[in-house]
Amino acid sequence: MLEVIGLDVRAGGAILLEDLTVRLDAPALTCLIGPSGCGKSTLLRWLAGVLPPAHAAAGRLVLDGQPAAVPHPAIGYQPQNDALFPWLTVAENAALGLEVAGLRRPEAMARVTPMLAAFGLDGTAGLFPDALSGGMRQRAAFLRTMATEARWLLLDEPFSALDAVTRIRMQRWLCGRLAVQPRGVLIVTHDLHEATSLADRILVMAGPPGRIVADIPVPLARAARTEAGLAPLRETLKTLLLEDDP
Amino acid sequence: MFPRPHPALVLIVLLLVLWEGYSRLSGVSPLVLPGPSGVVRALIADRAAIGRHGISTLGVAALGFSASVGFAFATSVALHFRPWAARGLIPLFVASQTIPLVALAPLMILWFGFGLLPKVLLVILVTFFPVLLSLLSGYAQVPRDYVDLLASMGARPRLIFRRATLPAARAAFFNGLRISATYAIVATIFAEYAGARRGLGIYILAAKNSFRADLVLAAVVVSAALTLALLGMLHLIDRVTARNPLAGRHA
Repeated sequence: MLEVIGLDVRAGGAILLEDLTVRLDAPALTCLIGPSGCGKSTLLRWLAGVLPPAHAAAGRLVLDGQPAAVPHPAIGYQPQNDALFPWLTVAENAALGLEVAGLRRPEAMARVTPMLAAFGLDGTAGLFPDALSGGMRQRAAFLRTMATEARWLLLDEPFSALDAVTRIRMQRWLCGRLAVQPRGVLIVTHDLHEATSLADRILVMAGPPGRIVADIPVPLARAARTEAGLAPLRETLKTLLLEDDP
Repeated sequence: MFPRPHPALVLIVLLLVLWEGYSRLSGVSPLVLPGPSGVVRALIADRAAIGRHGISTLGVAALGFSASVGFAFATSVALHFRPWAARGLIPLFVASQTIPLVALAPLMILWFGFGLLPKVLLVILVTFFPVLLSLLSGYAQVPRDYVDLLASMGARPRLIFRRATLPAARAAFFNGLRISATYAIVATIFAEYAGARRGLGIYILAAKNSFRADLVLAAVVVSAALTLALLGMLHLIDRVTARNPLAGRHA
């Protein structure tokens, strides 16, 4: 279990997050939704250990009952953009996390190369990211995160840059991948369709200062989810999101 | 179908034709304004001397430029990790760029004599700042996501610099090199003009003193050719060392 306890984040005079407590189960896919500026990305960035230096944060991280510090090797972070380095090949990009963890490049490459096929990247090891489609780039970014020892994945709007069809394909692909390689996943998204069709659980945030206003489990199994079946849940979420709207 | 000629080539040929026409038809003395054909004749006739001086100029410029790039790189790394030092030093570097070469070149000769040192120092002074500035602005352009990604993996600042910041600054660095390379030859010639035993600068001074406008212009042609050669070499280094030729579009 990943627990964030009593997290306060301040920037200048502004309070971005106040006494925020979240518990995430592994393996489960949790979506975090909320209006822009409510602090979703701030929470994600704190967990990833990449808050800007001007932000003052106080709070505790507990991983499987043990106090932990950020950044933590068990937590993998994927920024909004796929952040593939254009000067590295697909395999080198995928091996980056392992290299930072201390492996030499040849060892790291040898570790990720056999995984390329499972991520739909067969034959792309030596290509540069420019040569890949949007979906393939995203899968290469997932491989980079999932090749490491990270048991938790923080994904900041991972599908927002993709076209509608690729987005649906990638959502399905991710669910399939997580069934094979289970991880605790926290996805920040603005898309209610994405949240309701992917998540095991949806956290609704409001703010600033950011706080969790609802914690809603999605009762249906993913395969059993239909547009009609999810409509009431989406209505509930819409009502929650518009609650603060004047 | 003939391939379309490069616009710059067309313009140069047009200017040369106009120049040749004017020098022949206007009645102006060839001592004052020789035509391009006269310049080429002078260049061929005095090729041994111009070649000797040109090689000397290229040597000094290359040495000064290489040293300058080395210093600029070391300084840029130091300033990147010590932003307070950058805030203190950058205004000083900017001020150093406002010193006129006309004042600086004779002072260098006065302080350091007629040898290699004053000329190399002058080239360094002139070319250092553009390279330094291009590197620092290149470092600042590294996408935030790249830095965050590595930081979230637990990478320390030095590793983040080596793996993300430095490669992301590559395009800006080469732009700075190209700007500085054009200054390198000019600065060397200026230093030689102020006092030297060899080099295109002293050759131009001697030619001017003997009222040989054709030889002055021949030296100008050679200096332009040297600058183009330097730029060509940089282009080649850029091409050969590029890992992904398209990387600049996203970096």
